Amino acid sequence: MTLLEFASGPGLQWALWIFVFGVVWRLIGALFLLARKDLSKPRRHNSVAAGLGAIWSRSTPAHAFEKRILFQHVTGYAWHFALFISVLFFAPHILFFESVLGFGWPHLPNTIVMVTAIIATAVLITLLIRRATHPVQRFISNADDYISIVVVLIPLVTGILAFAHVGGRYETLLALHLLSVEVMLIWFPFGKLMHAIMTMPARYQAGTAFGRRGVKA
Amino acid sequence: MSNEAMSLQDFRGLLEKLRAGIAPREMSDEERVRRAKKAFMQKLNGHRAVDLDSCLQCGMCAEACHFYEATQNETYAPVYKFRLLRRFYRREMSPMRWFYRVFTPDITAEDLQNWQHLVYDACTGCGRCDMICPMGIKISASIRVVRHGLAAAGFVPPEMRVLRNEQRDQNTLFGVGAEQLKALAARLGEQGIDVPLDREQADVMLLTTAVEVLLFPDALAANARILNSAGADWTIQSDAFEATNIGIISGDDPTMKLAIRRIVDKAKACGIKTLLLPESGHAYQTMRWEAATEMNESLSFEIVSMPEFIASEIKANRLNLKRQSNGASVTYHDPCRLSRKGGVTQQPRDVLEALGMEVRETPSNRRENYCCGSGCGEFVMQSSANLRQKAFEIKKGEFEEAGADTVVTGCANCRINLLIGAEKSGWQTPVTSLVETVAANLAD
Repeated sequence: MTLLEFASGPGLQWALWIFVFGVVWRLIGALFLLARKDLSKPRRHNSVAAGLGAIWSRSTPAHAFEKRILFQHVTGYAWHFALFISVLFFAPHILFFESVLGFGWPHLPNTIVMVTAIIATAVLITLLIRRATHPVQRFISNADDYISIVVVLIPLVTGILAFAHVGGRYETLLALHLLSVEVMLIWFPFGKLMHAIMTMPARYQAGTAFGRRGVKA
Repeated sequence: MSNEAMSLQDFRGLLEKLRAGIAPREMSDEERVRRAKKAFMQKLNGHRAVDLDSCLQCGMCAEACHFYEATQNETYAPVYKFRLLRRFYRREMSPMRWFYRVFTPDITAEDLQNWQHLVYDACTGCGRCDMICPMGIKISASIRVVRHGLAAAGFVPPEMRVLRNEQRDQNTLFGVGAEQLKALAARLGEQGIDVPLDREQADVMLLTTAVEVLLFPDALAANARILNSAGADWTIQSDAFEATNIGIISGDDPTMKLAIRRIVDKAKACGIKTLLLPESGHAYQTMRWEAATEMNESLSFEIVSMPEFIASEIKANRLNLKRQSNGASVTYHDPCRLSRKGGVTQQPRDVLEALGMEVRETPSNRRENYCCGSGCGEFVMQSSANLRQKAFEIKKGEFEEAGADTVVTGCANCRINLLIGAEKSGWQTPVTSLVETVAANLAD
C-alpha cells in the first residue's frame, strides 16, 4: 500500500470515524448534563426567537466594544470566509464531497480559490503570531490553542503546495495533504476546533437566558 | 428633607471594625479542595458545561473588563478567572475527561487561595464580559461558580464572611435589624411620612436595606413618599425587610436560600400582590430572577424594582410629578444587575424624562454599561480598594464625556462606590438616587 493509498483509504476512514464519534460523544456529554428548570416569570416568552436571534447577533460585536476588538473581528471574518471558500468551492474538493455525499455543487475558478487559500494561510499565521505575542492571549493559551491552529495550518499549506506542484512529487504532496486533514479530523473533537459545532448551542442558550430577562443577547 | 445619615467616613470605620473582629478560617488543605470540588460539582450544570466546552480562549472578554482595562493585568482577563472551574470540568466531568486528565493539573489549596483575589477583588460579577463573548458564554456565571467553590473552601474575604454570618445567624446586617428600622420609621413619621410597619395584610411589600437605613435613609423616605403619593396599599416588615443577600454575594448557598426564604414566607403570609425592591441591583437579580428557582416554587406575587414601579405609576397617571423646566441634565448609571442582568433599562430613563430632565448617555450604556467598579458588595472589601478606584476612573471618564449636571443611579451599592470614588479623586458632579430624584419632584 502506498502512502497515498493509505491516506485516501483506511487513514481517511478511521479519521472520519474518530471525528464523528468524538463530536457526538462530546456533544452528548455537555448537552445532557441537567440544568434546573427556571421558575422565574419570564419577561419575554418567545425563547426560541431569542435563542435564534443570539446566533445572529453574536456575529457582530456590540457598538461599545467595536473599537477594542476590531482586529480580532476583522481577522475572524477574513479567516472563516477564506477557509470556507477554499474548502467548499475548490473543484477537486467538490469531487471528493460528491463521492462521499452523492451530490456536488458548482466550483469557483482555481485561481480564485488559490488566492483565498493564501489569504486564509496568511491570516492564520498572523493569528498564531498574535497568540504567541499578545499579553492576554499568550498568558491564557495552552497546548490546545497552538495545536488547533497548527493542525489547520498544515492542510492549508500542503494543499497549496500540492496544487502548485512545489516541494515534491504530486502524489506525495497529495498524500501529505490528505494525512494532515486526517490529523485535523482526529484532533477536532479533542480540542477547541469543536467550537465549530458548539457555536450554535452556546449562542442559542445565551439568547434564551438573556431573552427571558428581556435583554438582547 | 434630610434624615440623620451615617457619614461615609463613619461607615468606613464600621467596616474597619468588622475586619478586625474575624480570624482566618482554619481547615486542612485536603478539606478545602474537597469542599471546593463538591461545590463545583453541584453548580456545574448543562449550561455551564456548554459554556466551558465552547470557549475559544480568544481573550476578547478582557477588553470588556474594567479591571483589565484599568490595569492591563492579563490575569484579570475574565477567561482566566474561571480557569479553575474549567480545569475541574475537564478533569472530572467532561466526556473527554479520560483524555484531559493526562495533562490537566488537579486543583490545589494554593490555587484556591490565589483565585480569591481574582474572583472577589478583581471581579464585580458585572457581566460586561458576557456581552462581548463571540460564543455567547455567560462568563460571569462561571466565575460565580468559582466564588461558590472558594466560599465552601473558606477562602472568602473577611468582611463578607462576617456579614454572611451576621445575616445568617442574627438576621441583621451592620447591626441593623428590626429595632433600627422601627426607629427610622418613627423618625420619618415625625416628619409626616407614613411608613406602615408590620401590617398583617397588604398589596405591596417594600424591602429596604441596612445600607439605606444607615447611609441613605432619604431613599427609604423617598420610597415611602412615592408609595403614599400613588395611594398604594403597602407595608414594610421589620423582621423581613433586608433586600441585601450576602449569601449570593459571597457565594454561600445556605445563607442565600435562608435570606430569600425569610422574604418569601413573609410575603406569602401578608398575601401581597407585589414585592417591591429598593435600589439594590443584586437584590433585583436575586429576587426577580433567582428566588423562585432557589425556593423551587412558582411565586404568586409579582417582583418589581422601584424604577419599574414608578414608570408604570406615571403611565397610569397615579403619580403627580412636577416637570422641571430649567433644562437640568442627568446621566443615568445603569446598575449591571438591573440592566444587562435584569432587563430594566428603559424605565428609569422614562422616569427621568417624565420629570422634564434631559438624559445624556455615557458612551457605553444600558447593556454595555461600565460597572461602577464595586458591584456585588465589593465596597465592603479593603483588599480591592485600589482596584476599585482605578475602575472608577474609567467610569468618571464616561460621565465626563456625557457632561450632565448630575449622575443618577438605581442601586445603593453603585451609589456608594461612585461617592467614594468621587471623594477620592476630587470629582464634583453630584451623585444621587432615582427614587430621591422622583420624591423631590412629587407634586404634593
